[in-house]
Amino acid sequence: MEQCANYLGLIPLFPLLGAVFIGLLHVFTCKRTALPEKVYGILACVGPVLAFVLALKVFVALKGLAPEARFLSYKAFTWFSVGELHIDMGFLADPLSCLMLLFVTFIGSLIHIYSIGYMGGDKNYGKFFAYMNLFLGSMLVLVLGNGPVVMFVGWEGVGLCSYLLISFYSEDRSNVLAGNKAFIVNRVGDLGFVLGMSFLFWGIGAHGFDYLSLKANVHHLEPAVALTVCLLLFVGATGKSAQIPLYVWLPDAMAGPTPVSALIHAATMVTAGVYMVARFSFLYAGVELAGNIVAWIGILTALLAAIFGMFQEDIKKVLAYSTVSQLGYMFAGVGVAAYSAGIFHVFTHAFFKALLFLGAGSVIYALHHEQNIWKMGGLKKKMPKTYITMVIGALALAGCPPFSGFFSKDEILYSALATGHFGIWAIGVLVAGMTAYYTFRMIFVVFHGEPRDHHAYEHATDAPSVMTVPLIILAIGALCAGLLNLPGIFGGDQVVSHWLAPSLTEHHPHGGVFLEILAIAASVVAFVIGIKIAYTKFGHGAQEPFFSGFADFAYHKFYVDELYDRIIVQPYKAIGSSIWKVIEPNVTDAPVKGVSRLYMVLGTAFKVFQVGYVRVYALYMVLGLGIMSLLLSQSLN
Amino acid sequence: MFEHVLSVIIFLPILAGLILLASPASRTIARFTGLVISLATLVLSLELYLRFEATGHLEFVEHISWIKSLGVSYSLGVDGISLFILMAGSVLLPLVYFVFGTKEKGYYANLLIVQGAMAGAICAADMILFYIFWEVMLLPVFFMLGLYGGPRRLPATLKITLYTIAGSLLMLAAIVYLGVSYHAQFNEWSFAMEKMAHLNLTGRVAAVAFFAFMIAFAVKIPLFPFHTWLPDAYTEAPAATTFVLSAVMAKIGVYGVIRFVVPVFDLEFARFAILLAYLGVIGMMYCGLAAITQKDFKRMLAFSSASHMGVIALGVFCMNIQALTGSIYQIVAHATSTGVLFLFAGILEERTNTRTIDDLGGIAAKAPVFALYFAIAMLASVGLPGTSGFIGEFMIVLGAIKFNTAIGVLAGTTLIIGVCYMLWMFQRVFFEKTSSRSEHFKELSFTEGLVFLPVILLIIVMGIYPHPFLSKITPSTALQFAPPASVVAQMPAANAQNYGLTIEQK
Repeated sequence: MEQCANYLGLIPLFPLLGAVFIGLLHVFTCKRTALPEKVYGILACVGPVLAFVLALKVFVALKGLAPEARFLSYKAFTWFSVGELHIDMGFLADPLSCLMLLFVTFIGSLIHIYSIGYMGGDKNYGKFFAYMNLFLGSMLVLVLGNGPVVMFVGWEGVGLCSYLLISFYSEDRSNVLAGNKAFIVNRVGDLGFVLGMSFLFWGIGAHGFDYLSLKANVHHLEPAVALTVCLLLFVGATGKSAQIPLYVWLPDAMAGPTPVSALIHAATMVTAGVYMVARFSFLYAGVELAGNIVAWIGILTALLAAIFGMFQEDIKKVLAYSTVSQLGYMFAGVGVAAYSAGIFHVFTHAFFKALLFLGAGSVIYALHHEQNIWKMGGLKKKMPKTYITMVIGALALAGCPPFSGFFSKDEILYSALATGHFGIWAIGVLVAGMTAYYTFRMIFVVFHGEPRDHHAYEHATDAPSVMTVPLIILAIGALCAGLLNLPGIFGGDQVVSHWLAPSLTEHHPHGGVFLEILAIAASVVAFVIGIKIAYTKFGHGAQEPFFSGFADFAYHKFYVDELYDRIIVQPYKAIGSSIWKVIEPNVTDAPVKGVSRLYMVLGTAFKVFQVGYVRVYALYMVLGLGIMSLLLSQSLN
Repeated sequence: MFEHVLSVIIFLPILAGLILLASPASRTIARFTGLVISLATLVLSLELYLRFEATGHLEFVEHISWIKSLGVSYSLGVDGISLFILMAGSVLLPLVYFVFGTKEKGYYANLLIVQGAMAGAICAADMILFYIFWEVMLLPVFFMLGLYGGPRRLPATLKITLYTIAGSLLMLAAIVYLGVSYHAQFNEWSFAMEKMAHLNLTGRVAAVAFFAFMIAFAVKIPLFPFHTWLPDAYTEAPAATTFVLSAVMAKIGVYGVIRFVVPVFDLEFARFAILLAYLGVIGMMYCGLAAITQKDFKRMLAFSSASHMGVIALGVFCMNIQALTGSIYQIVAHATSTGVLFLFAGILEERTNTRTIDDLGGIAAKAPVFALYFAIAMLASVGLPGTSGFIGEFMIVLGAIKFNTAIGVLAGTTLIIGVCYMLWMFQRVFFEKTSSRSEHFKELSFTEGLVFLPVILLIIVMGIYPHPFLSKITPSTALQFAPPASVVAQMPAANAQNYGLTIEQK
């Protein structure tokens, strides 16, 4: 059924080789004469661009096949094989992974180009690109892996790069702490992933532990096991994709350079959880309870993050919470078994969120690393290209028709409605309004009104074209990507959904025209109300607000970080130190010390008899002989 | 010539060490001799590795009758299980002679002797021979720790001695018991390991002997709660000794369990495996938690090492091929990662004159190659896919899930526990701002960079392409789970529940 395509292995290989090469160059030259930045810049873009070209080749190859036969695979080598466990280092390109592949390599390449400008002058320029290439390679392993274990390689690889890039400015303690937090929280999720994989393996893995074999054998899986596996895998997804309760690392992750936030913490890595659920759609489709849990966690995360997003003052944190919130939508989508809708939102979100982050990066760059929106203002005139592209991104994020975000979000909300999940739909509409509000709050405060910091304002200009061209390309994507999956009601025929169909196990809900119109109308109304409120409050310039009551509570993110610190981090450390200071010396080590003390005591006791006088030893001898002869005579009798 | 390769690998270092001790050689000559001998051993081991055929049974067998009246023989051999522990020692030990300033002659002599003795214990196919090597390998550790250790070396030496003597005595008693039982059942004297599997051991005495063996090995591994000698000894010992202890010697404890306990006491083992598995998991969590509060990076690594050994031991107790193979793979992975981390800790200590984590900082900016190497070893130690650490850990967790769900889930937490203390340490030593002590930290020299490179590459290669290594291990581990022919023949069909009963009646 699947065809062999040996170039699949090259796709992740190019960026990975790039990472090794650039990394070595950096290590060997950084202490002496640093290489010119151009060399690194060009080297860094080779891998991603080649990967993109090959991704196009994959797309063309898949397109040439009949829809139900669109599977290309390549087995590089046997990875490990012990008993019934047999894992190949193999890659699979099907419509789902191909879609991911296309936008990951495309946006990845653009962000690499943008970074050439953004990172200029940094003393670790080479290191940055080595990590970025490593990230892209790992992400492509994640996407292309032919089974859960290979996916896990990429899964942890992107986690590592995320850690390295968050703590990139490692002299500052808080950045490293943010990196540690990301890694450790992700590891909590990864535990779920590993356990889920293990249960799945002992369920049906002995007949092949790749997606296609698993899909073929999934009906042998006991329902209880299937539920366990689904939930454990979802724990992994909540870690990587920042959902309740493990979302806390993503806002902190904004400590990394902005292109990193755009690529890793918005467009690609954080959507891996959604991709994973869609990848396992054959499993989730059979377990309705698991789907419902996924959907509810998703929509509640969307709500929570939207609340937080409304009160942030750091431009990147606004976008970070918006990412968490949008990821929540995606999980709501895949949770209600609308896998293609979820994945489509992953796709459009990658464009507009990368655009917004890169736009924010340009603003930060222009203002010499100022990130507080209340120090900005009136930048519209100074940075027209950035302004226009960011507004396009904001409209897409807020779900304004006909921008891309509108279609993808609407598809999710409609699916929730059509499958009878009214609660999820209602919360989704509410969140749509909130999204419009906080997005345009940011736009208005940053670009409209009067400048708040005149000194910074004077020097602000649009970034060089190496940074603005990627913005423009992404803006075109944010504008048009939605048209790819135009629903029937607008005269389209859902190209993306049909393209994805062979990879996914889903039934498109048919709610009828009324529900479709209801969903669209509700979304549009929510958008209009949200943007209206934002305009009245911030459209003509506003002062930095003072929060009290609920707003203050939300500004402090409901004190969730503090709560986790109190109930997890501090007890963890306390247990560690009590083991070391109390249990170890007094319990586990006590018997050993007891033995040595026993010898001391015995020694001291026997010392009494060793008086050193010959007459006393003679007495001992006489006594001993006496006792012996007594015993001897007794036994003889 | 090559049929005696094992003897050469064992006795070449021992003889060289003894000659060094007796001769008036200078420190430099001692160091150079050690280097040459360990490199020669490495070459022989590599040749051995290439010629190893992975039949699953012992290869390169040497057999000379020694004490005929008691059936004791000088017999050696390696199979897929011992091969990798032997290789770990041979590949890693030459490193010790490249790094650090030149130490006393006796230090290098003892290193050579311990290398030979460890190889002997790994290759011995006779229990008495094993016991002799086992005892011999402890002596150099005693001297290295007691003579060349840190300021608080004496209490540490006392503790390790108490522990080991207790363990060794128990083991000797158990070995004698096995020999006598063999004589009673088969009417001939033998201490050959492979024959012991035919013994039918039941009743209370068998359980006592089982625990005697288990405690001896548990001390060496170390398995919770017999680990308390480890933090002190690892911290106070010179870096090379800590390296030997963690990279190879601890593994011989695990090896002992696989070799003696599992095949000989199969019934007792099956009965108590769950208890032992819990000890492994508890040890992993206990030591991992203790590691996070350590202020001394060497002690932190010591606890980390103990924590990982808990996982490795667990793999043996899970009684399935994935977990056992994972354990053996993890033995090598752990030797290359944590072992190398101990060497790096030694370098850190030598160059900054401190072992306190908080005194350091910013080393990544000062020494990028050192930081890169350290990071790779650290990532292997936390089990990142793409490094050697993942393969073993994954298979152990996978096998543990099959064995017992609760244990599997608890074992999985090693993923989180390990990363907590490692990252926090890495942050304070390599990131943040430089301190006065790390301000002038010297990068690895060219030679140092070059000698560590093969090990660092091995960590990555073993993570990306483990298949060639595993294919040498699996035939031997598969044999461990093939029921012995005699038992199969005698067992009433399909009555596995009465397994123990059947043999008792016979």
